[in-house]
Amino acid sequence: MAKFNDNKHHVSNLFEVGTERLKLIGDNAKLLMQGYLAGGIDPSTVSERTLRRLISARVLYQPDDSQALKLRHPVTQLVAALVTDESRRAIHADIADKLMSIHSFVEGLREAQRTGDSLRVDSQMLRIDEAVYDLTSQFEEAIFSLWHRLNSNFGFVNNLSDKIRENNRAQQQINRLIDGLSLIDFDELIELAANNPALRKILVTRLQQQMSAHQGSLLEVQKRLVELMTRFREQQERSLLVLNMVGFLREHPSFMVGDYSYRSQVPTLVNYAAPIVPAAAVALDKPEQQPELVNLVHTLYRELAIKAKTEVVSVTAAAVNISAQQQVVEARQQQLKEDAMRYFIHVCEAIQPPSALVFLVEQQLQWSPEVWLFQVLAEYNTLPRHEQQLFSLTRAERQESRFNHLQIIEDIEVRYQAA
Amino acid sequence: MMLLGPLLETMLAGQFVCAITYEELFAKLQDDEVRERIDEYLKPLNRRLAANHDHSVYFLAYRDIDDPARAHLKQQLAVVMSSLLPLLEWLAYVQEAMGSDAVLSADDTLKLQELIVKTEDNPSLRQRLQDLANDKFFGSSADSVDAQAKQIARRLVEHGYLIQPHGHRLYFTVTGKIDYLLDLVRFIRDEENIPLDDSPRQTELL
Repeated sequence: MAKFNDNKHHVSNLFEVGTERLKLIGDNAKLLMQGYLAGGIDPSTVSERTLRRLISARVLYQPDDSQALKLRHPVTQLVAALVTDESRRAIHADIADKLMSIHSFVEGLREAQRTGDSLRVDSQMLRIDEAVYDLTSQFEEAIFSLWHRLNSNFGFVNNLSDKIRENNRAQQQINRLIDGLSLIDFDELIELAANNPALRKILVTRLQQQMSAHQGSLLEVQKRLVELMTRFREQQERSLLVLNMVGFLREHPSFMVGDYSYRSQVPTLVNYAAPIVPAAAVALDKPEQQPELVNLVHTLYRELAIKAKTEVVSVTAAAVNISAQQQVVEARQQQLKEDAMRYFIHVCEAIQPPSALVFLVEQQLQWSPEVWLFQVLAEYNTLPRHEQQLFSLTRAERQESRFNHLQIIEDIEVRYQAA
Repeated sequence: MMLLGPLLETMLAGQFVCAITYEELFAKLQDDEVRERIDEYLKPLNRRLAANHDHSVYFLAYRDIDDPARAHLKQQLAVVMSSLLPLLEWLAYVQEAMGSDAVLSADDTLKLQELIVKTEDNPSLRQRLQDLANDKFFGSSADSVDAQAKQIARRLVEHGYLIQPHGHRLYFTVTGKIDYLLDLVRFIRDEENIPLDDSPRQTELL
């Protein structure tokens, strides 16, 4: 009974100290969180008393005088676990120790049963239950943490070699977890549970169920990690290959490979055949293909017709181009004609009409005299006969040579004679 | 009967068939029976189906190597070798410019505009792009980063390393031919015993 009281006293003492320290952590939450994120706390920013209390409560420690205060490992881990900060959460899987304590609890239970101490039987049972729960929940935590890291694709490291290292670390953790799992020997546990049904349920049935689930889960994580690692390694290999080859080729600009094509066994990668462009022609010797052939010829004609049409269009386009030049010429021609016409009208109206060449000068027309005289004559000749009679044409001529009768028209005088 | 005409024509024309350039044709090639039939068909043409080591790219190889075939292979190898350095340098340049862990590989998307923006902000990248563009393989005499990057991309599309899914948009997809190229580089490294240090430490020092 004395022992029981002792135990009770111990528990109540523990309770008091524990609440007091948790409260202390709570009171200094901001300070501790800053320390967690920054990696240390500057002693000068905290009062002497708080500092002493935190150190004596095993929350902070100072590696040496010159350094900042650091959070003790369990505190850091507590924060990391609470905020699921995967980069800083460590996974503890000291399974052997847990199993040992389960063993000793079971022995304690046996002893209590032998002495008939029912109160102690109950408390030992509770402890076993807790230890088993602790064991499985630790695996659960660890696996959850691994999944989380896997799904974030090691996003918190951005460098490929860091990713590979991180992946390596995770794989080692898995190996440790699997090693831990293999430490759980169910034969031993069955023996340990003996014929106690409650114990059997806790130690064997529940544990086995959970462990096999964890094992499956772990194998899956491991598979995924290995896949990811393969991908990382491939990426790394490719970039190294490219970088190294570039370096090598730069250093050896005249590097030439061996003549692979003259080997008896040409390597597959080098054996890249010349292209063949397949062409086909109509098979005139196959009567059964005639309907298709006829069809083909028809479409061909249609295409030819379309082509011809487009050619016509292009021809007219050329014609348009030519006519544009012609229009300029025609416009000049028209102008010349009109000027000649004006001369005839002038002759009709004027009292002393000028000769054609005088008119040309007077009106400051740009035509060459020869062209002009020619146009005046042509104009006269195109008039209807009865109108021609209204005009008299006098040509000022000179003989070109004594030896022939060639007469050069030097000027023309047109006179209007009213009928 | 499955129609293999388009597949054969594409392959005979000397194209590399991968999941990115010719998705449907590549899917057909996954069938053993199809591959056998094509091989059978190609026999009289002195051709056979070949692939890179992980079968992500298919192309045609000579079945029997006669003298004209040897001459062609030799000439072709010379062409490949002359383009090897600019191609690899381009890959290294893109990797650095984009700050990426990995070299471009099949099915990656290259956003040219992003590449141009990053290059313009960085004098050393600008110099590298300039040197690359001036290489006779890419053959650009342009002065602006924009024009140089575009010319390089155009040449890579011509050579089948990139495709441009939408003609008017400046993003490109990397084809499986890049896998072929890297396999070839690996092969040359092994054949010629090029002492390339594969330890990651070496590059970290660089």
